[in-house]
Amino acid sequence: MEMLTLSHVEKHFGEKQVLRDVSFSVPEHTVFGFVGQNGAGKTTAMKLILGLLPLNSGQITVNGSAVSYGNTDTNRFIGYLPDVPEFYSYMTPAEYLSFCGEITGMPKQEVKKRSHELLSLVGLENENHRIKGFSRGMKQRLGVAQALLNRPRLLICDEPTSALDPAGRKELLDILTAAKKQTTVLFSTHILSDVEHICDKLAFLHDGRIVLQGTLKEVRKLRRASNVELEMEYARDAELLLSDFPFLRRQGQNLLFLEEGKALPEILGRIAEEKLPIRRVERMEPTLEDLFMEVIAK
Amino acid sequence: MTAFLKKEWMELVRTGRLWILLLLFILFGIMNPASAKLTPWMTDIMAEQLAESGFVVNAVTVDAMTSWTQFYKNIPMALIVFVLLSSGIFTAEYQRGTLIPVVTKGLSRRRILAAKASLLFGTWTALYFLCYGITYGYNAYFWDNGIAEYPLLGALYWWLFGVWVLSWFLLFSTVAASSTQVLFGTGAVSLAAYLLGLFPKAGTYLPVKLMDGMNLLAGNTAPGDYSVSVGTACGTAVVCMLLAVVCFDRKQL
Repeated sequence: MEMLTLSHVEKHFGEKQVLRDVSFSVPEHTVFGFVGQNGAGKTTAMKLILGLLPLNSGQITVNGSAVSYGNTDTNRFIGYLPDVPEFYSYMTPAEYLSFCGEITGMPKQEVKKRSHELLSLVGLENENHRIKGFSRGMKQRLGVAQALLNRPRLLICDEPTSALDPAGRKELLDILTAAKKQTTVLFSTHILSDVEHICDKLAFLHDGRIVLQGTLKEVRKLRRASNVELEMEYARDAELLLSDFPFLRRQGQNLLFLEEGKALPEILGRIAEEKLPIRRVERMEPTLEDLFMEVIAK
Repeated sequence: MTAFLKKEWMELVRTGRLWILLLLFILFGIMNPASAKLTPWMTDIMAEQLAESGFVVNAVTVDAMTSWTQFYKNIPMALIVFVLLSSGIFTAEYQRGTLIPVVTKGLSRRRILAAKASLLFGTWTALYFLCYGITYGYNAYFWDNGIAEYPLLGALYWWLFGVWVLSWFLLFSTVAASSTQVLFGTGAVSLAAYLLGLFPKAGTYLPVKLMDGMNLLAGNTAPGDYSVSVGTACGTAVVCMLLAVVCFDRKQL
């Protein structure tokens, strides 16, 4: 069952085309990474899903129902964490959560229990001060708590990790992974290691277009051949190899780079023949970073 | 909607807006009879000085009408302050994005608007009649309200004028992006109505006529003379609020 589907979504602000023919779908109980540079259109896409912006063309469905601009019913399935969450500064975190609970029509007892659970999950259980003095990281944590409050079927997070310190980031990723059991997660990021840590599926958004999508495995497979790094003991040996195999790239005094591992046996043969001492031969697994750079360079 | 209404109330109390407004309307309420009461005393002091330069000042008699005159002079200022202090109730939320979590939790925009509007009209009504009540009480204590015709009806007309201004304020709040725009729009409409009201022919039809409670109290006009302007005020207020609903539904948050 698909929790979220976007088909041929187009969006422009005046002359500026922000999303072009964006289509993807997120099955239930997956963590879907939405990757792209700043300004690629990630936030716009999320706001369209939430019915906060009108579509120019295409269709979005959440849990089988179509999203419409303005008052959309589909929001009752969704928990949303905005990129810079803002709350009523004169409330305390517990008051804010009980306000959110009342809006969604949760029973009072349930709200109380759930708020307590979530505040300790995000480490704000002892914060009885008003939100006024909160740092951005603390607001982000409260944002997570309010997004998860009514056990949404779909959790949408807009760059949830970008304001957090390394420890907070790890905690948040753990929370999202744990949330997967109960819900479907769509989160946007430009931090690729986050994607590698927790995503099942991902889509690269570049210049308003989906340039690449699939499961983490599929996307990685797109670059079947890996590169090889060759570190020689002496710089002169590196030069020797470079003159024999001009397609090698020099990356340091005695460090050579072999793209896609082509002609590796020949090179190794030559090394054996000449008895050249080597420090290291390493097959470099392609990272999403490489892929990302490659994709946006096109 | 009660949840959002509670939140609005909390905002009113915790940001201190309620206390400032309360203080102000009480002060206005007391000032009307107080300044009437002080007038003879002040003219006495002035008279001595003026007598030296050759002016002769006769003794001034004050009564409830003097105090009511002060009431109708001061209440526009109270309305202006009320609008100024409430100017951000929508726009501050747009600018900070605080409505986004609320809307994405499935609370309908109409309920948000209804909660905000009811609290706005509610506080206006409560504060206005508090001010009126204080003035009325002092007037009865010092003098006699009996010399004024229809004091309550005159006050009700002016209250309706306030509601009319606030309904424009609501409409602009659902369209504008900043509180300056809201104030500018509301101010422009009020000023335009006031200027049009200066033409005697237009005056009888416009809501600004409702501000003229003094003539009703003095017996120069009859209650029925205001019926057309009551109609226009109610009519435009309803249209404004319907438009506000439509605009708020489409407002980009």
